[in-house]
Amino acid sequence: MTMRNSATALLGLAVMATCGLAVAQAPVGPNLTSTADEQTIAIIGGKLLTVSHGTIENGTVILQYGKIAAVGTPATVKIPTGATIIDAKGKTVYPGLFDSESHLGLFEVGSDANARDLVETADEIEPQMHVYDAFHAETERIPVQRINGVTNALISPEPADSLPGQDSVIQLYGRDRDEMFISKDAALSMNFMGDVRRRGGPGGGGKFPGTRMGVASQLRQTFLDAQAYEASLKGDKKGPAPKRDLKLEALLPYLHGEKLVVLSCEEGYEVEVAMGIAKEFHLKVALNHLTHTQDVLDKIASYHVPVIVGPIYDAPMANERYDAVFSLPAELAKRGVTVAISTGGEGMADSRNLPYAAGYAVAYGLPYDEALKSITLTPATIFGLGDKLGSLDVGKTANVVIANGDPLDVRTNVEQVFIDGIAVPMVSRQTKLRDEYAPLVKGGMKQ
Amino acid sequence: MGLLRSLTALACSGLAGGFSVMALSAQTATTPADLVLKNATVMTVTHGTLEHASVWVHNGKIAGVGTTVSAPAGAMVVDVTGKYVTPGIIDPHSHSALGNDVNEATSPVTPSMMMIDAFTNTDKALYQALAGGVTTELLLHGSANMIGGQAVVIKNKFGLDRDSMLFPNAPRSIKFASGENPKRVYGSRGIVPSTRMGNFEVMREAFEDAKHYMATWDAYNDKVAKGDKTAVAPKVDLKLEALADVLRGKIYVQIHCYRADEFLTEEALAKEYGYKIRAFHHALEMYKVGDKIAPTGTGIATFADWWGFKDEAWDAIPWNAVMSMREGVRVALKSDSNDYVRRLNQEAGKMVHYGGATEEEALRMITLNAAWIIGVDDKVGSIDVGKDGDLVIWNTDPLSTYARTEKVYIDGDLFFDSSIAGFGTPHFHGVMSDAGFSGADDEIGDGEGAR
Repeated sequence: MTMRNSATALLGLAVMATCGLAVAQAPVGPNLTSTADEQTIAIIGGKLLTVSHGTIENGTVILQYGKIAAVGTPATVKIPTGATIIDAKGKTVYPGLFDSESHLGLFEVGSDANARDLVETADEIEPQMHVYDAFHAETERIPVQRINGVTNALISPEPADSLPGQDSVIQLYGRDRDEMFISKDAALSMNFMGDVRRRGGPGGGGKFPGTRMGVASQLRQTFLDAQAYEASLKGDKKGPAPKRDLKLEALLPYLHGEKLVVLSCEEGYEVEVAMGIAKEFHLKVALNHLTHTQDVLDKIASYHVPVIVGPIYDAPMANERYDAVFSLPAELAKRGVTVAISTGGEGMADSRNLPYAAGYAVAYGLPYDEALKSITLTPATIFGLGDKLGSLDVGKTANVVIANGDPLDVRTNVEQVFIDGIAVPMVSRQTKLRDEYAPLVKGGMKQ
Repeated sequence: MGLLRSLTALACSGLAGGFSVMALSAQTATTPADLVLKNATVMTVTHGTLEHASVWVHNGKIAGVGTTVSAPAGAMVVDVTGKYVTPGIIDPHSHSALGNDVNEATSPVTPSMMMIDAFTNTDKALYQALAGGVTTELLLHGSANMIGGQAVVIKNKFGLDRDSMLFPNAPRSIKFASGENPKRVYGSRGIVPSTRMGNFEVMREAFEDAKHYMATWDAYNDKVAKGDKTAVAPKVDLKLEALADVLRGKIYVQIHCYRADEFLTEEALAKEYGYKIRAFHHALEMYKVGDKIAPTGTGIATFADWWGFKDEAWDAIPWNAVMSMREGVRVALKSDSNDYVRRLNQEAGKMVHYGGATEEEALRMITLNAAWIIGVDDKVGSIDVGKDGDLVIWNTDPLSTYARTEKVYIDGDLFFDSSIAGFGTPHFHGVMSDAGFSGADDEIGDGEGAR
């Protein structure tokens, strides 16, 4: 351990002590080392929400070498000699949360254009854009989200183009971007939403495409061009290789159905048009952003594709009941659809509020277990990481959260987050400001 | 009326839940003379949370609350066993139902703008807020201008005509703003203000104009009082008249600002010109100077956890509300949003998480303290005898994520009932308008959503 490490370890311990967690000596990593620690952590006595195999009261979880080494009860799990023991009696222990849509690392202060790398808007068709090329690992925004239990997120470009680029999945901890990306180009963003209706707004302002006909036609032509490009590569091999077309090349794995297309639509008729295009080109799809789709729920179920709902707080239209969107996850789940919930990455939708969106879905009819799954195992599975993330199971990445209550309840306080088996410092720019001014508060700040 | 009322009451008393009957009363839109919400967990805000308690509303006013309240003969009794009752939620900062007329951004000083003239009482945002338990809202001018327009206070009686939705005898409020928004709006046009220096210079000029105007009128009134028949009345200037009323203390001053230094500057300016500030809105850095603002008596209407959307919101922390409260400041939460207004109860719930507020303290931030900011805390904001019968029935603890609004009463009349098919609105059967404005304060057409 370097001096830096031990200093942060001390800080981490102090923070954990104020949270009421009894910690002997946990490996605490700063942003400077996120590789799996040689130490072993045993979290004992907590209520385990495993997501994959129910709830275990008085459970034991062992974290070792960055992975979950054991999950069970005192009767079934032996605590390894020398393990750091964390008493989680009266606490809830659950897998780290996964936000299926965010723009973390692509902007800092919202209004600061210099720091904004959200989307290229010169063209509708930009599949050759990769969010990892812009990702700012040291953003102050990431610690703010992760100390509320969010350990993973899909980073996507803002949905301002039909094909704005490719998404990647991060861990919300690591010394640099290479340590944080766990799946680069995990999916292609594809948007067919009313507000992506064009350059210069409805009518186009003189620039194509100005209508949904234009958007649909342009998408079809693009996919046809990519297929033609691929065919040309297989042609005459004599002579110099043709120049690579990065734009069309980027689409090939998606046209082969090898990788996922996250297809965003808001209204029922948009879903039908966009799914028509997806079927035509045999795209492997997850639907996203569904909002005003009450009229096509059965049809959506018939597609047998996963659906990401987010934000659940999108406003119903003037002819819709107040809970039309709140009840969407429940209505989809009822029809057998696999549902993930995201914050939608828009406006004030910080990823830290992800559990409350899932809780809202519960209030409006989604079974609790489904809701917890919709922000853990389901998104992990949708993005091809179901064997690594999303549940308390042996062999999975040790992304684990300890909270003082129900993770989906706004009143609950997250007390410790582990990522890759490392006790993440429960510190953000915001906690530092809090602590700096806490002396003004009569009686001090408790949490 | 009388017959209908007794019919409903009769039918209701014969049913355990009375839901289908509530639907009937909904259709007839009849306000019962006596309404009793029976056997709930009642969160009074002022005197604790009462288990197995009832609330009696007589002729629209709360007439009794507690475990010993019994229903008078003929009362409509709603059995709310296992449910929660709170006062109606109050939003002290909204731009709903104003269409696209939030900012008269053609001059930095527009105090004669009356938001009532833009009030669109059929806006779907009001309905969606009602379904979130919101019964009173302060509809404010935006923050493009240093001195914006005068607010309108509404009771969310969605479905009634415009005038029936106005909060009777509510105090006047005016919107001021400083910081980035006026800087951006006017600076981009090459006129003052483009800096915070310009911000406050514009204010001083405006108040100097108002003082001069007042002096002119005082001189005239003096002459008239002395019997001078030749005295010529000065021109009535709506703009200066409004500012004069600010200086006369007749209008509550509601100021949009974010930074700690601005709170201090605004207080200094208020002292310089002799007016009082009712509340700072947004006030995301109040935790830094709460001890200095507390003695002035100025309250705040703040966000629960919004941050980072612009420079002046970069030091925002979700502990701001509770820290400021503990530093002695009167704190309310507000929406500034057609979205968040639907779930202010959850925003209050976050205060338990961020800083360990008690549930009563958290609830007070979206009821009584919000009412105080508007100046209607003598009429609404708590469940106390004599106050308006503005009540919300929740399926569970309103501060939990799982809370749903089941019924909303305003002045004892049912305005929302989730068990009614369709919109769940007993009084509304028409066509809603979609104002098309997201409801955020400062979206002055730039589409960036900067608040």
